[in-house]
Amino acid sequence: MTKKTPESLLPLTPAVLHILLALADGERHGYAVAQEVEAMSNGQVRMGPGTLYGSILRMSETELVEEVIPRHRGDGDERRRYYRSTPFGKRVLSRELARLDAVINLARRKQLLPTGT
Amino acid sequence: MSDHPRPTRFSRLLVRAYPRELRNQYADDIACFIDDARRDPRYRNNPFGPLFVATRLTVDALASMVDSWRRDAPRVALPTPPSESSRSLSMDAVLHDIRFALRGFIRRPAFTIVAVGTLMLGIGANTAIFTLVNSVLLQPLPYPHAEQLVSIWSRSETQKQLLVSVPDLVDMRSRNRTFADIGIMRSISVNLTGGDTPERLIGNFITASALQVLGAKTAIGRLLTDDETAIGAGQQVVVISYPAWQTRFGGKQDVLGRTVVLNGRPHVVVGVTSEHFADPYSSEVWLPISSAPSRQWFERNARSVWAVGRLKPGFTAQDGQRDLAAIFAQLEKEHPSSSARAGMSVIDMREGLVGSSRFTLVVLFGAVIAVLLIVCVNIANLQLVRASTRAREMSVRAALGANRGRLALQVIVESLMLSLVGGVLGVLLGKSAVKVLAGMMTLPATTPVHVDGWVLGFSLLVAVVTGLLFGAPAAFYGTRVNLQDALRARTENASVRRFSARNVLVVAELSLCIVLLAVAGLFTRSLQSLQHVQTGFNSENVLTAEFRLPSIKYDDSAKVHLFMASAVERLRAIPGVTSAALVDAVPMSGNFGTINYVAQGQPEPVAGVAPSAQISTVTDGYYKTMQIPVVAGRDFDATDRVGSEPVVIVNTVFANKAWPGEPAIGKTVRLLGQPDIVTRVVGVVGPVKQMTLSESDSPQLYLNMAQTSGIFASVVMRTVGDPDAMGKSLRAAIWSVDRDQPVWRVRSLTSLVKRDLSPATFSVTLVGAFAGLALLLGIIGVYGVMSFSVAQRTREVGIRMALGARGGQVLQLVLKSGIEVVVVAIVIGVAGALGAGRYLESQLYNVGGADPLTMLGVPLILAAVALVACWLPARRAARVDPAITLRNE
Repeated sequence: MTKKTPESLLPLTPAVLHILLALADGERHGYAVAQEVEAMSNGQVRMGPGTLYGSILRMSETELVEEVIPRHRGDGDERRRYYRSTPFGKRVLSRELARLDAVINLARRKQLLPTGT
Repeated sequence: MSDHPRPTRFSRLLVRAYPRELRNQYADDIACFIDDARRDPRYRNNPFGPLFVATRLTVDALASMVDSWRRDAPRVALPTPPSESSRSLSMDAVLHDIRFALRGFIRRPAFTIVAVGTLMLGIGANTAIFTLVNSVLLQPLPYPHAEQLVSIWSRSETQKQLLVSVPDLVDMRSRNRTFADIGIMRSISVNLTGGDTPERLIGNFITASALQVLGAKTAIGRLLTDDETAIGAGQQVVVISYPAWQTRFGGKQDVLGRTVVLNGRPHVVVGVTSEHFADPYSSEVWLPISSAPSRQWFERNARSVWAVGRLKPGFTAQDGQRDLAAIFAQLEKEHPSSSARAGMSVIDMREGLVGSSRFTLVVLFGAVIAVLLIVCVNIANLQLVRASTRAREMSVRAALGANRGRLALQVIVESLMLSLVGGVLGVLLGKSAVKVLAGMMTLPATTPVHVDGWVLGFSLLVAVVTGLLFGAPAAFYGTRVNLQDALRARTENASVRRFSARNVLVVAELSLCIVLLAVAGLFTRSLQSLQHVQTGFNSENVLTAEFRLPSIKYDDSAKVHLFMASAVERLRAIPGVTSAALVDAVPMSGNFGTINYVAQGQPEPVAGVAPSAQISTVTDGYYKTMQIPVVAGRDFDATDRVGSEPVVIVNTVFANKAWPGEPAIGKTVRLLGQPDIVTRVVGVVGPVKQMTLSESDSPQLYLNMAQTSGIFASVVMRTVGDPDAMGKSLRAAIWSVDRDQPVWRVRSLTSLVKRDLSPATFSVTLVGAFAGLALLLGIIGVYGVMSFSVAQRTREVGIRMALGARGGQVLQLVLKSGIEVVVVAIVIGVAGALGAGRYLESQLYNVGGADPLTMLGVPLILAAVALVACWLPARRAARVDPAITLRNE
């Protein structure tokens, strides 16, 4: 794969965005990612294994996430695979968030959203 | 969440639903995920949790499958021209595919013709049979709220649809709680006189409520009133049907108030029913039950009518039956009778009218669906064969950037085009076939058979489903392009897996074939047994006809006897007639009578359980004309008159049952009625089949027409030449006695026997035709697959032969794979055939559902034919010249 700029991957699909968000504060295994996403979104976003691993497959190919040997095993299952966000992934996430932020600001200026902190 | 050492078998199974590319990398992870989800306390403690998880997983698996198809662009960095990749699944792409497919079809006319032709047959057969199923079984009867309509009968231990007495029904009408209303009816022919020639109309003697229950409307005038149809009413009125009004009564308004002579009595026309109204008999005139042809109808012991009922909303036929059964039991107490009746039956009206047609239709529907499946399998096979030859085309397109979904779409579009064209032709074929079929079946008069929106919708659905079914294997296997392989090597390497898919299809096809052949075989065997049934009479060269003397004109028995005697005399005088007689119910004509009796020496029956026998009333010469053997005693003769001792002739079954081992002649039989009659046996004759060929021989009694006073009679007349040519002389002979007397149903006795065979013949013809078609298609399938596999293995065979294998060994090798397929198909097919036989058993005559001849014969035939189909390609393989094959490499 040729080196990609973060911009070539934007906008992110909702699944990719949420996975990157879930991995923002550390490594997790698959089901934990899905649970975290569900918790973060108040149950709005639910991921099945297909969606999750489908996304992780593409994200590995585009080097947004990588598999890691976990520093500590939370549940003692040796065959679980853990993933974390790569530096490139973190950059892509921040670009995407900046993009979304710009969109939100635009919406506020147009008074489509309540202004707030 | 600390206790999952390894994924459960269940979740490893589920993982298979996910696309291969995910499974390759994440199979265990997905399985763990599924286990985690199942163990999640949120779902575990919820009764609907498992369902919820299952739904989520299904949706998820489907979504990722679609996702993978969409993304499945080959990972080869070739430029992707917009014409292939970016169009994706748009309308534009479909149009492109249609054009592409059309060009392909024109390039391969043989494939196109075979595919469209077999589809046309398959879908056409489905359209035709579904049209019958739809109009007979699915569409409501043409009456308002037809679902509330039932027919009401009495029943015995063995029969469900027996006639009821008028007084019983009158009481039931007033006492029941479940019916909105009940209307009595009885269809009987009516003589219309006063015109140029006497005519017979289909009459229906009813209570006013009958037409109201059916929701009849009038075109002009009014319907009958309760007063006019009340028993004892003197008013002679009639309502006529719209078609009869148009054809027989001039179709003018002035018909109202006109007097017509029916059964010798004047009736005033008071109304004409609306144009499209028809009762279950297609009656032409409705007369009040009060002017019934016989006073006997109003006796409680005489069972002469049935009834239509409309249930109150919320009540079912079972409720109605319970209600009437209770009233019936009450009536039995109030008016004890000696005849055996078990109770009442209330049957959904359609059910009562459709009768045994339902079974035939269900079997035929099953047969055509099987044929269509075989057609599907066959075309799927052809497509697979094509797919492997098209592997290069597919690879090139994939290399140019078409993804797998795109390639599959093209295959599906092609399949749908074939099936839709086949479907349109099929509907046209089915539409003309259905007319022929409807003519061959005896269907209720209330069922207009035509191709309606439902049928067209069904055929469209069938065409689409068919197209998807036979397109799917090729869309799935045919597009599994492995770029490296396909571009590098020859196509045959990639086809090893596909071959097994084709074998599965052929097994399916041959198994279905066996089931159909076995069903056809069972039906044929049953028909054969029926054809060899001893009827007890000789039907060759006998002409029959029916007439009914109007009771107003023949108002005493002397006049009736005089007419009958003169008629027989005139009939016998016709040149070319060797003998003639009268009988009230010709065998196989649908007419019959039964009577309860007590034979001499047998105990007095307890109320309601006297034995019963079929009864016929005949003139002398009947046995000679019918060639029924007289076993003992004599025929009736001139000494048996009114005033002399009443005599009776019994059949051997009766004699053996009543007086086993004793001579019957001279014994007495008391016939129960009002009043009872004691008769003396003067003769014993052989048994005859009265109702149908499949009935078992039962006790039969014959009374002498000269000693009774029936007004209904049939002629039987044995002729020297063709009986059908004698109809005119027969009519003339009757008219020479009374020029106003209509004669109808002039037909040969052979035609009556044939008519009884016609439902069986119908099933045999159609199922046989479908089975033949199935066999042909199945054989084409086997041949196709074997030829293809031989072509694929040419190189292998070449190498083997170069290494010293002989032709015979190669032949064996190739045949072996064919034989495997056939054996598996036979095992599955025979199992299916035995199941089908079990279902059919009750409708077969003298043949078991597991008839060994059929169950062994059919697989043998199939195996023989299939082996020939395998052998031809195998022989070709054995003649492979290794030098030529290897040089081609």
